[in-house]
Amino acid sequence: MSNLVDIGNLSVQAGNRTLLDNVSLSIAPGERVGLIGESGSGKSLTALAAIGLLAPGLTASGSVQLAGQQVIGAQDRTLMPLRGTVTATVFQEPLTALDPLLPVGRQIAEPLRRRLRRDGRGPSRAELDAKVQTLLTQVALPDPATRSRRYPHELSGGQRQRVAIAMALACRPQLLIADEPTTALDVTTQAEILRLLAKLVADNGMALLFISHDLPVVARVVDRVVVMQHGVVVETGPVAEVFSAPRHDYTRSLVAAARSFDRALEGVA
Amino acid sequence: MSAIELTEDTGRSRPSLTLWVGVVLVGLHVFIALLTVVWTPYDPLGMTGGRLEAPSWAHWAGTDRLGRDFFTQIMLGSQIALVVGAGAVAIGGAIGVSLGILAAFASRWLDDALAATLDILIAFPTLLIAMLVVAASDEASLFTAILAIGLALSAIVARLTRILAKRVLLLDYITAARTSGTSWPGIVVTHVLPNIWPTLAVNFALQFGLAAIAEASLSYLGLGAPPPNASWGHLLQEAQGTVYTAPIGAFAPGLALVILVVGINLLADGLRDFADPTRSARR
Repeated sequence: MSNLVDIGNLSVQAGNRTLLDNVSLSIAPGERVGLIGESGSGKSLTALAAIGLLAPGLTASGSVQLAGQQVIGAQDRTLMPLRGTVTATVFQEPLTALDPLLPVGRQIAEPLRRRLRRDGRGPSRAELDAKVQTLLTQVALPDPATRSRRYPHELSGGQRQRVAIAMALACRPQLLIADEPTTALDVTTQAEILRLLAKLVADNGMALLFISHDLPVVARVVDRVVVMQHGVVVETGPVAEVFSAPRHDYTRSLVAAARSFDRALEGVA
Repeated sequence: MSAIELTEDTGRSRPSLTLWVGVVLVGLHVFIALLTVVWTPYDPLGMTGGRLEAPSWAHWAGTDRLGRDFFTQIMLGSQIALVVGAGAVAIGGAIGVSLGILAAFASRWLDDALAATLDILIAFPTLLIAMLVVAASDEASLFTAILAIGLALSAIVARLTRILAKRVLLLDYITAARTSGTSWPGIVVTHVLPNIWPTLAVNFALQFGLAAIAEASLSYLGLGAPPPNASWGHLLQEAQGTVYTAPIGAFAPGLALVILVVGINLLADGLRDFADPTRSARR
């Protein structure tokens, strides 16, 4: 089977500033890929370019294939059906990624209804409600029946991220893009959300593009990593290989920083 | 918002006093306007007393220079003020929101062109635009007044909608909706309109008050609904000549207008808290 995402020599420019330079990246069905780098290295931009959601004013060159469809230069109309079927995205800050004026249950129902319609079924309200409850149970949101009627600001950060994950799952995508999904959460919640994501990806046979600046977090959920710096891919390979024997200076410094942080933590304890 | 208020959070906001006063004042006008459809104290056109009588139990606001009961005419004025207010806001809202959303989604140059046009339109006083529209039509009528004021308001509504919509479109949940494949019309209906609605609704209420004032001004100038429609502006204009002998004639229509506009503004303030769940929870 061909790759879900095939990015070849992608460059993105804002005016004469180069944001991405010759980035290549491919994700096969079921594959779990980590995209690592510091803030501003172009991780999120790469992910947005993959689904054709670059901000107006940015110019892209190269090739981006999403499920065989060329994304660069394509009309929004041709890409719309791919978003939500091929990919779904979980963002960093669940508070702003959820509509503040809609109860969370209804927000999950939205992509769910779209998917069921696409499958040729106009779901009844009761069926939709039941499916929303199922999704909320899958993401382990406590007391889903009451919580689905709550507004985003009435939930905790971790609960909100679970809702956002449920929204992405509602699309039943082939590829889940998780853009720093644990960065805005406290450490305990981080671990829970990571376990949840890993389990859901495995259960549903989804591919995963996990974007993070946090090495230990990435190492736990992916098979292969792509390391980016200043808009350039500096290293790529299986996670164990890259982390045990980093070839590029930048990767080495990332690994060293993570190790020294761990040592510092152990020293304190 | 202070920390003390936050700790007193009870989760649900109760209707505020502001809202109730607004409801009572506007409700009074609505009640009177509906009442005059079926009943008025006197025949509005009939000679029911002496000319320019002072207020009495028989004639609460006295009589005008033709001996007609003044209070009856003020009551009928409510009808016109409410009809013009509602009509103008409906027209201005429909045109303004559509244009504003269009501008927010439009390409760079179309958006710039629309924004510049709106800014120029807003620079003209509402009354001037309304006068132009009335002048362009064959004769002044209730409908031309509504249309004229509605068109004048639409520029203000469009500009507000454009700014509000643009701000919402930058938010993460719009990107999130797009990544899950929501179409642009879907985004407008599910996310943009509900999120700008609280601010728009409050603005509509304020525009309603402005429309009532604009109607009175047009009628005062003889460009509103023609007599025998008892518009407050028209009543004021008629009373102008006798303001020293019968001041009630100039005072009463003005008071009726003030009660309506203040009531609407209070109502708008009170309603804002209901339209926005995040706001009500913070109260």
